[in-house]
Amino acid sequence: MTDAGFVVAAYAVIMGGLGLYTLTLWRRLVSARRELDRDDEVR
Amino acid sequence: MKTRILGFVALAAVAAMTAIALFVVPADLNQGDAQRIMYPHVASAWLAYLSFGVTAVSGILWLWKRDLRWDALAVSGAEIGVMFTAFAIWGGMMWGRPVWGVYWQWEDPRLTTTALLLALYVGYLLFRRLTDDPERRATRAAIVGIVAAVDIPIVHFSVEWWRGLHQTATIASPDRVLNPAAPMIFVGTLLGMLGAFTLAWGYLMIRRYQLARAELAREEAVRIGRLEAVRRGVVRSEATR
Amino acid sequence: MSALRAEARTALAIARKDAVAELRGRHATVSTLFFSAVVLLLFGFALGPDSARLAAAAPGLLWLAVVFAGLLAVNRLHLLETDDGALEQLALYPVSRRAIYAGKALGGLAVMLVLGLVVLGAVGILFAVDVASAWLPLLATVVLGAVGIAAVGTFYAGVTVRLRAREVMLPLLMLPVLAPLLLAAVKATAAALAGDPFGELGAWLQLLVAFDVIMIVAGAATYGYLLED
Repeated sequence: MTDAGFVVAAYAVIMGGLGLYTLTLWRRLVSARRELDRDDEVR
Repeated sequence: MKTRILGFVALAAVAAMTAIALFVVPADLNQGDAQRIMYPHVASAWLAYLSFGVTAVSGILWLWKRDLRWDALAVSGAEIGVMFTAFAIWGGMMWGRPVWGVYWQWEDPRLTTTALLLALYVGYLLFRRLTDDPERRATRAAIVGIVAAVDIPIVHFSVEWWRGLHQTATIASPDRVLNPAAPMIFVGTLLGMLGAFTLAWGYLMIRRYQLARAELAREEAVRIGRLEAVRRGVVRSEATR
Repeated sequence: MSALRAEARTALAIARKDAVAELRGRHATVSTLFFSAVVLLLFGFALGPDSARLAAAAPGLLWLAVVFAGLLAVNRLHLLETDDGALEQLALYPVSRRAIYAGKALGGLAVMLVLGLVVLGAVGILFAVDVASAWLPLLATVVLGAVGIAAVGTFYAGVTVRLRAREVMLPLLMLPVLAPLLLAAVKATAAALAGDPFGELGAWLQLLVAFDVIMIVAGAATYGYLLED
């Protein structure tokens, strides 16, 4: 790998990781809130 | 919602700083293009420490105030801190290979300390999952988090001495660029990246905290549901562990 | 001042209780000693047969063996408490939490001291290092290391005592925290064996002392929260 390869690898993982985490966090949050709403309905 | 705005601002800032770090800032004379990795690497490391600081302090506040919201904050700090720690280590390795010639350098105190940091807080997160009762979990996590936080300065000192007493030539380290003689554009880019990352950190912390609160509410609802079932005689014993 | 003395008496009583139980059942010490011997043998097979290489690695191997065996010892000491709900009973007594922690840690310290000294001797024999010549600094290192492992181990054993997946959790939590102790103890041992050519022995021993003090304080301060469980 040339230097550029390492730079790309570094940025791709870090920025991509941030994006991925944001996405999964968002989905977890939506899912958790939906479950709470469902609980309220049942009661 | 204000959080959503923060999210978009953070996204824009990170994107802008990435573009600047990759295309605008000149390459370092000694380290070449690899030095560009330093910007997200150092920013990640600082945010990792910040996150774990939040976890430790939140743990103390839970023990003091007994408000589960502090524990929600603690777990948010730990999870996001682990992520940034992993980024910092990855960045360090990607920087190390072109500059040092190796992915890992035992004599770099920052890298080894960060690796230990990762071990400590992954352990913290795994440990949390073993307790179901929210208050017990919060208490146990708080004390594990406090001892982990107390260990970090000791690790830092011991690893610094470890390297120092070895008496070899000082090896290059990613943030040597932060010396007073460094060109302003390097320092400025680093600060800009740090600012952008901090915005992203703030947004993620808020969302993770909201998730933790929602999960706590869910656990509470389940617990009440079970108590209600006990009251009605549907289940025999109250399981609150 | 008499409150402190009462605490000390409590701690010693708990330590004595553990010691008696230990001597009767010999749970922790014997199997731990055997384990450390096996570990040293395996190190020999893994890194040998070049005796020069083994001698150079001896300080590290010594402390790895002590730390790994220490994991077992600490785990088993607290096992005694859970078997008949003794830990819960202990929590009911109106004694200071710090005293309970100190008592259990003293028990752990006794085991770790025996372990450390035995492993020191075994390493001297197996890897051909002259431990007798530097016995005083080596003894100091072993004592300081034993205190640190006992303090940290007692704390984490208490933390994990009633959790599922305890066997994995205890090492996973303990080992990263012990990293500075391992580092300093190995460096001190190596310096002592070499005759302290760079004058660094003192610094490493000081680091061990600092580690021990900080961990004892942290462990004692937070142990109480465990027992309120």
